[in-house]
Order: sequence, then C-alpha cells, then structure tokens
Amino acid sequence: MTVQFKPTETFRDTFTYKKSAEDILRFPFPFPEDEYMYSVNIEPHVKGGPTAAFNAAFDIDEHYVAECRERERVLKEDPKRCQVLPHMLTAEWDALELIMESLAVDYPEHFSLSKAGDVWTWVNRPLGLHQTFTFGKVETLPYGPFEYITRQVQGDFTLQDQREDMLYVDGGMVTTQADWSFEFNIGMSFMEWHGPVPLANEKGVFERALKYLLRLQCGQPVRRLNWTMTINPRLDTSPENYPVWGPDRTTVTPENVGDKVHLRVELQTLFRLPRSNAILFGIRCYLTSVNDLVKVPKWRRRLHRVLRDLHPALAEYKGMPRYRQMVVDYLAPMDDGVPTTKGIAPETDRLDG
Amino acid sequence: MTAAGTLSVRVREITELAPTLKRFSFEPAHGGEFPTAPAGGHVMLTLRDGGRVMKNAYSLVSAPAQRTRYEIIVRKVAQSRGGSAFLHAKVATGDVLDMAMPSCLFSLASTAKKHLLIGGGIGITPMLSFLGELKARGGRCEMHQLSSVDEAPVFDRLLAPFGDDAEIHIHTGGRAAFDLAGLLARQPLGTHVYVCGPHALMDAVTSTALALGWPAGKVHKESFGGATGGLPFKAVLKRSGLEVEVKENETLLDAIEAAGVAASCLCRGGACGQCATAVEEGEVDHRDDFLSAEEKAAGKLIMLCVSRARGPRLVLDL
Amino acid sequence: MSDQGIKSKPTYSKIAGDKAARYQLLLVEGAGIPSEAMAEGGDPSAFETWTVAHASALPAAPMMDEAPGAVRPFRSTQHLLSALEERLDRETMGLRLYAIGTEPFLWDAFNIASAAGLSRQEMQFAHAGPKARRIYCVHCRTMMEGVTTSIVTCKGCGAALFVRDHFSKRLAAYMGVQVDAEAPGEVPQAEELYK
Repeated sequence: MTVQFKPTETFRDTFTYKKSAEDILRFPFPFPEDEYMYSVNIEPHVKGGPTAAFNAAFDIDEHYVAECRERERVLKEDPKRCQVLPHMLTAEWDALELIMESLAVDYPEHFSLSKAGDVWTWVNRPLGLHQTFTFGKVETLPYGPFEYITRQVQGDFTLQDQREDMLYVDGGMVTTQADWSFEFNIGMSFMEWHGPVPLANEKGVFERALKYLLRLQCGQPVRRLNWTMTINPRLDTSPENYPVWGPDRTTVTPENVGDKVHLRVELQTLFRLPRSNAILFGIRCYLTSVNDLVKVPKWRRRLHRVLRDLHPALAEYKGMPRYRQMVVDYLAPMDDGVPTTKGIAPETDRLDG
Repeated sequence: MTAAGTLSVRVREITELAPTLKRFSFEPAHGGEFPTAPAGGHVMLTLRDGGRVMKNAYSLVSAPAQRTRYEIIVRKVAQSRGGSAFLHAKVATGDVLDMAMPSCLFSLASTAKKHLLIGGGIGITPMLSFLGELKARGGRCEMHQLSSVDEAPVFDRLLAPFGDDAEIHIHTGGRAAFDLAGLLARQPLGTHVYVCGPHALMDAVTSTALALGWPAGKVHKESFGGATGGLPFKAVLKRSGLEVEVKENETLLDAIEAAGVAASCLCRGGACGQCATAVEEGEVDHRDDFLSAEEKAAGKLIMLCVSRARGPRLVLDL
Repeated sequence: MSDQGIKSKPTYSKIAGDKAARYQLLLVEGAGIPSEAMAEGGDPSAFETWTVAHASALPAAPMMDEAPGAVRPFRSTQHLLSALEERLDRETMGLRLYAIGTEPFLWDAFNIASAAGLSRQEMQFAHAGPKARRIYCVHCRTMMEGVTTSIVTCKGCGAALFVRDHFSKRLAAYMGVQVDAEAPGEVPQAEELYK
C-alpha cells in the first residue's frame, strides 16, 4: 500500500493535521496494561510489532513531508535546535550511513542510495532531493552529515558519546520535543539529562537502563515507548517556546477535550554506531487525539483506566493537572468495564464511529 | 546479550604472513556487503572439525569502511589443538563458515586529543583496525609494536600503509628495553592509550599508566567480553512439566523458548525485570542488573535472559 | 522548594588531592584557600596554587617556578581562567586540576579543562563562597549572574522565571523557565533562597 503524503498539513496556528484510518490503527499505543508506571520497558528493535509503526528501522508515515517542512521552519526560527559537538563528527557519518541505508532498504519506492567507492548518490523522492557527495568529506554536503540526514527523517535524534561508563548527549536534532531543551542539555550525562524525571530515578530505572545501553552492540538496536499529552497537534513543545504553547493548556473545555487533547507517544530507538562507538537515539513522535483513540475499543477503555489511576507526581511532571480530570470524565462513559488483553495491539482493523 | 544473527562467510583468500601467522579474508557467502564493522571489533567464528564444534573470537584487522571483506590474522600456537590450529591446517579458500555479527568492547575515545596504540605480537590485530579508522578520520596517533626480531618485517609491512598518518615504532629489544614509563610520562593532556597483547604487557601498561597519574578511563585494554555462557545445566520447568538442557553457549531463556515455552521477557539483557521467575530448587549464578543484592542473596528469583545455574539443576516455577 | 529533587544539580566535596597524581594544580577564586574547602589531611603545599587577588595594581606575574608549593596570584577570575587555557595546552598526562570557588567559577574552569582533554576523573571541585546562581533563560538565552531568589525577572525578555535545580555544566548555569506561561500574571512571591 502506498502512503499518500499530506504535504500541506500544519502542526501550529491552523493545526490542519489529520489522521487517516490506517494512520490511527498504526499508532504505537503506549500502554500494554491498564495501569502505568516507569519501568525499563526496553526490547529489541526488530522489524514487525503490534502495529505497522514497528515495520521499519526508521518509520515513515503519511505525515512525512509535512513534518520535514515543520522541522525546516523550526530550524529557520532557531538554528541551535541542531548542534553536534566537534568530537562527534565520526558519529555524524555513522548516523548518515545507517539512516540512508535503512531508508533505502525499507522504502525503495521513496529513497535510493548508490555508491561508487566513497562517492555516494542519495535520492529522496518525496522531498525531491538528489545529492551526490563524498562519504567522509563534510564540504560535499549542504549541511553537516547529521543535520543533512535528520532533516529528512521524522522524529528527533540525539548522538550519545560513550566514555568512562557513561553516555553523554553530545549532538542532536531536536525540533519535536516534549518539553526538554536541547540547547540546555547538550553535553549532559545520561543521569543529568534524566535528572528532572520524578519517581523513575528513585526506582533505579535509569541506572539499569544505562547499564543495558552501555552494552548495546552494533546491529542489535533496541526500542521503548514513552508518552505524554499535548494540547493541539503541536510538534514543537519545546521549553524555549513554552510561553507560546503553554496557554493552550487553559483552552481545554468539556466540549472540546476530545479534539484538543492528544496522546503524544515517542517511539524511542537506540542504535550502536560502528566507527564512533556512539549511540544514535531516535525519538519518533506520534500524535493522536482522544477522539481518534476512542475509535478503538481496547484503547479507549485502557486510556481511561490509565489516566484515572495515574500517579499524581507523573501527572504533574507531564503537565496535565489543568485538564486531566476533564479527559477522564470524557472517557468514563465510554469505558464499559470489560477486561482488556495485555499488549498494545488495537485488535481490530476497523474503527468505531 | 543474545547474538542478533550469524553471517555466512566464504574464505576468499588466505595469506601466509609468517610461519605461524596467516591472514584470512572473508566475503559474504551470498554476495553483497558486510555490515560496517565496529572499529576495534571482533567476530566469533564457529569451526566444525568433524563432530567437534569450536567457537573462537578474533579481532577484525580490516577498517570499518571495508565492507566487501572482513579480515583476521590468526597465530598458530604450538601444541594447540584448538580453533586457531584448525584454521591454519584445515580451512581452505572457498570454505564457508558461520561468523557471529561483529561486536565491540574496545573502541576509540572520541574526545581523545591523541591516541597512543601499543601492540604486543599478535596484539597488533585490533590496532590495525584502529589505524584504518584513524587514517579515515585524521586522528592524531602514535603506534608502538613489540615484536620478535623474526617477525618485525611482517609487522613492518602490515603497518606500512599507515606510516604517513601515524608515528610508528617497532621494538624488537624485548620489554625490558621498551621505555614504557618514559613514553607514558611525555604524552600530552587528553591522550588515551590502547593496549593489546600478552596479559603481562596489558598489565604493565595499565599499572605504569596509573602510577603516572593516568585516570583509568583513559587506559583501554582489548577485551572479548566476559563469558556469556557457562557450564551446561538442566532446568526443570515445573508447571510446564518439561526438562530443558541448557548448553554452554546458550542462555536459559533461549533454551526455554527452544523447548516451546513462551516465557515473559522484554530486553533480553538483564535490565527490565520482565523474565523474573521463581526458583524452587537449585542455586543461581546471578548476572543481571535488575535484582537487588538482597534479592540475589535470597536466591528466590532468577532472570532467565542472563543468569544461569551454579550447579547441575534448577527447578523453576514456569 | 529548596530541594526540587533534580539529579542534575551538582554535588561537591572537599579537595582531598590524589596520591596517584604526577602534578597537582589548584585554582582558588579568592586570595587564600578557605580551610573548610580542604579535606582532612589535604595538604595544599603539595599543589601549585593559583589565586585571585581582585586587585588591578598586581604586577604581571613574574617568571616563576611552576612547582608544588608555588602560589601565583591573578588580578581577577577572568585573568586566571585565560591563563589556564594556555597552561593546560603545555601539560602532560598525570595532571590533576582542583578548583575552589563559586559554582559559575568551578564550571567555567571545568569547561576550559574539558576542552584541553581532562576528564571528570582528573578534576575535583569544592564549592565555597556565595550560593548565588547563574541563570540561563531558556526562552531568550540571556544569562543572569548572582541570582539569589526563587523567581527572577529575565533581563533579556522580561519573563518571570522560576529557577529550576536543573543545571547545565556546559553553560555553568541553572535553567530559568517562565513561571506564568500558562496563565500570564500568576506569579508566586519570590523567596530568597540562594545566598
């Protein structure tokens, strides 16, 4: 099935972002059970999973072109959303190689890569790009290698250097983030970066995850899902722009809650890179409104139960206090109390309503 | 961690470098390219000599950018009846072998101002991979190779391609004549040292560097990693009514899955806690990061993905 | 609110020295070594020490020994930090760098040392002097020095910023985030917390 791109949809101001039925069903719903707490929910990133979002190393969907345009716009407003510290240049080339080769294999109809020794030719049909360059020669690309390729993929990326048994976030392309500042965090260790997260630190989640990631090997990527909620389908919820999007949280009413409130899921992937021994961390953001989610019976039951019983510290950290109860009240009449099955798959191929 | 997959490789070329040194060059048996190998990475070859199966790890000497071929150099050790002797005596051009995907526990530090490489004898192998990578990225580098007089010309030829980019020295006067302390004391701030060779050399570099005030994080030793396997044992799955033999090179989780029992699991690396299973009998060799020290001491739970039995038998509530 | 439970907030210890060091250089943001910054048994005479006199009449440093026990005064903090870069450029492995002073001073020194190739394992930091914070406005990137209150008005964009415990070593600063972004005007009373 060929994806129909929707190049003109927007993620700000007019918010014309819309999901097709297929796009709703491929959503990586983040709750495998009716209650949620932080855990080391990491698993091998193998192709194939409970929804179609897990079918490729780097997932491309119907919002691809529009998301790349939104990224371009954010970078125009704030070029520092993409930065790489100088010692990460080898990791930049590693990342470019991995992403280009993966996209060309997973989506041959959209991307192709051909090589004549070090001279590579990259074709990106949806964005209309055709680039010949020399691998390893920065001056043959219009941007640094990491920026060049991550302008052409959905989701944020960081480059983590590994030294002295620690990971450091020493590079990144961050334009679709859930309220963390890349400019502030660049250079931080894994533990400093996650410093503000409540409860998970106390549970030792980050220490265990770190030990696991330090052992990550080439060719054996891993993934996990993370989530929060966002008002309106806005990709750029950066702290930099908090004064711009923060007031949205006061606009939720019992009448508009289903359309306004979106479940924001990050499909996080981690790849060990060969030359540099760095880790490429993909943070692929998916937005689905409550009204789209309730079209899947299992998801509407579970979303209601998770939000109703969510630990207050998590609700606070995720910025939900102003509207959480409204979402719970909206969902409550739609939860018939039927038990749900474990796992995130929608268990239907048709939507209600 | 479980191996993601196995590469099928064909021996394309065997070069005798010295009476006991052979270079093996492999190509993908089914065409195409290999994955980009990690700089300083190693591969595990499965060698079948009649009914005997040997698994040997070798450093790759080819640079990461070399995708059409993976190369290793193997020394035949006198009296050895192991995999290296088998490679020297019985493996021929055109043979197809199983090779585990390359992995890496020995890597170049990206923040190093300078890389100081020290190889002893066959310990030159990962250094060749490093030199290839450093040549590609233009990193500042100095290489010291310790060698017998006989083999110096061999190492000299192997190192020759890197002579324009790195300062290279071959020492044939034995370790006593090699001024290790002087070398380490004059390195500029931000230097990282990498050593591979006999244990005595690796220990000498480590202890000399630390005594001169080098921080441990800037001293790197070749490692193929701790054993992921261990002694074979029997796991009794009480609820399933099955007995599973866990082989030396297999995890308990893999053996249980191979027996058709779907154990709950997620990360397969001892971190997430999903595969925690109650132990009814037997002593556990805990290798995970999930259980607390107290839980490990209590011995009531085992993480199937990484931990093993300390004795011949475990009885599990599974 | 004095402990926000954020793990990126740095912790400090006293300067103990490192017996394995080949050479030890101590930076002090002040004229003398505050005794409370030294660990028990720590011996500053084993270090080459750089101090800050806060005096312009100080003559340019004479040719002096770079040796344990030597003390070299600088006119200002900036004067000291600019000399550090040049000095580290000439150094060899085995050096340990210690610093005593305010948080911005410590992490400015850390950044210079990191650029020169020193890792965290080769440094020790002791916090001494005022607890006032350097604040980075996450909205407009303005830096403000000497902030002592829980809420501060950004000198760059005018936002009322809440001072988080989230600390960036690279910026040597804490993060300031607009406290009333969701509902403009809802600004809590500022408390004097960092003195």
